Amino acid sequence: MNAPDRYERFVVPEGTKKVSYERDTKIVNAGSFTIEREDHTIGNILRMQLHRDPNVLFAGYKLPHPLQYKIIVRVHTANQSTPTQAYTQAINDLDKELENLKQAFEDEKTRYDERPKQGY
Amino acid sequence: MERAGGGGASYQRFPRVRIRELRDDFAKFELRDTDASMANALRRVMIAEVPTVAIDLVEIEVNSSVLNDEFIAHRLGLIPLTSAAAMSMRFSRDCDACDGDGSCEYCSVEFHLAARATDSDQTLEVTSNDLRSTDPKVCPVDQARAYQHALGGSEPFDTAAAADQRQLPFLTFPFPFHEGILIVKLRRGQELRLRAIARKGIGKDHAKWSPAATVTFMYEPEIRINEELMETLTLDEKRNLVESSPTKVFNIDPNTQQVVVEDAEAYTYDDEVIKKADAMGKPGLIEINAKEDSFIFTVETTGAITAYELIMNAITVFRQKLDAVRLQDDDGDLGELGAHLVGG
Ligand SMILES: [Zn+2]
Repeated sequence: MNAPDRYERFVVPEGTKKVSYERDTKIVNAGSFTIEREDHTIGNILRMQLHRDPNVLFAGYKLPHPLQYKIIVRVHTANQSTPTQAYTQAINDLDKELENLKQAFEDEKTRYDERPKQGY
Repeated sequence: MERAGGGGASYQRFPRVRIRELRDDFAKFELRDTDASMANALRRVMIAEVPTVAIDLVEIEVNSSVLNDEFIAHRLGLIPLTSAAAMSMRFSRDCDACDGDGSCEYCSVEFHLAARATDSDQTLEVTSNDLRSTDPKVCPVDQARAYQHALGGSEPFDTAAAADQRQLPFLTFPFPFHEGILIVKLRRGQELRLRAIARKGIGKDHAKWSPAATVTFMYEPEIRINEELMETLTLDEKRNLVESSPTKVFNIDPNTQQVVVEDAEAYTYDDEVIKKADAMGKPGLIEINAKEDSFIFTVETTGAITAYELIMNAITVFRQKLDAVRLQDDDGDLGELGAHLVGG
């Protein structure tokens, strides 16, 4: 009767920000992104993409608790970059990779459909 | 001050794809030049975040069957419905054209079911074929298949061709798709009458909305045999080595009596042949590595959408998700300003 709605797991409540950034108070060029209503799907791939950036000294994510529907992505960069810059770059690169993948699938489907029918 | 995300170098990858098999509800493909985080994210999105349509609200008018109302409502929810339209539909909770109780063209589809066992002694089987949809685009998938078949269209499950190609050897053909999915059995005099509302949803909300029956991927194995060392083995030793693998990865060439890789992908990363080689005092005889950037995907759908649609929709949904987690302009500037003040 008082069970929370199932969609609370993936719908951001009104008045809550999807992403918020909190700068580290002790280390320069370090901070944490709190992403609401996301899980390992986004967290892991974002972390791995950040690792590809040589300016990123540290990138990690955690899902603090299975009943808190948010992830925290922590990033520490070298002086040439900033966490927000690296974060945005990672998302841009992933988006371009997926755009590419979509095209690759469409081309491959065309090739597959037109392949000569072998006589089996 | 530099704008957040402006002008950084790109570390983008360019993945390659090769389709091995593609049928309506099955796909097998190779994904290369990317890493496990991409493969896993795609798998997770296909299972839990690609939308379909499923029955979500049931109003029972009469139910004198042996199953209680909520049991039947649950069974109705699990029936796969044709969901090609789901991507362009609205979620009921976001729909401002209705109050979510059905008869709304943007977010829901209404179904009716009426069945009554007449006086004959036969048990009446109520199946998904008894569901009457008010929208021809959305109906139980087995109904759609039977309809397609009756029209003389290409049979989605070409049983003969599939058997020929030894595809899906674990399924027994012919596939019983004309019989419908059993909901409840009625005895003489019993009756079931209801109205149901199907809505758009995702697997994360409830598994009934998942279009995926299975989505798996494996690393492509790279098997190397040290031929020089292998030549020091007797034929019996070679046989023992080949037999030590629980799956049929290796074989012995009947002509040359050499150990050959018969099916690298049958390897389950069980290490058994490697342990066997060590036990025979021949370490390094066989080396097996997982290629870190090559994956073999197997995708099976419930029939709600085709396997190809599932893959393409997963990419679309994933890009929408990425877009949603972008920093808004004000977040970025605040962060930069702060860093500037402290770090100089
Ligand atoms: Zn509506």
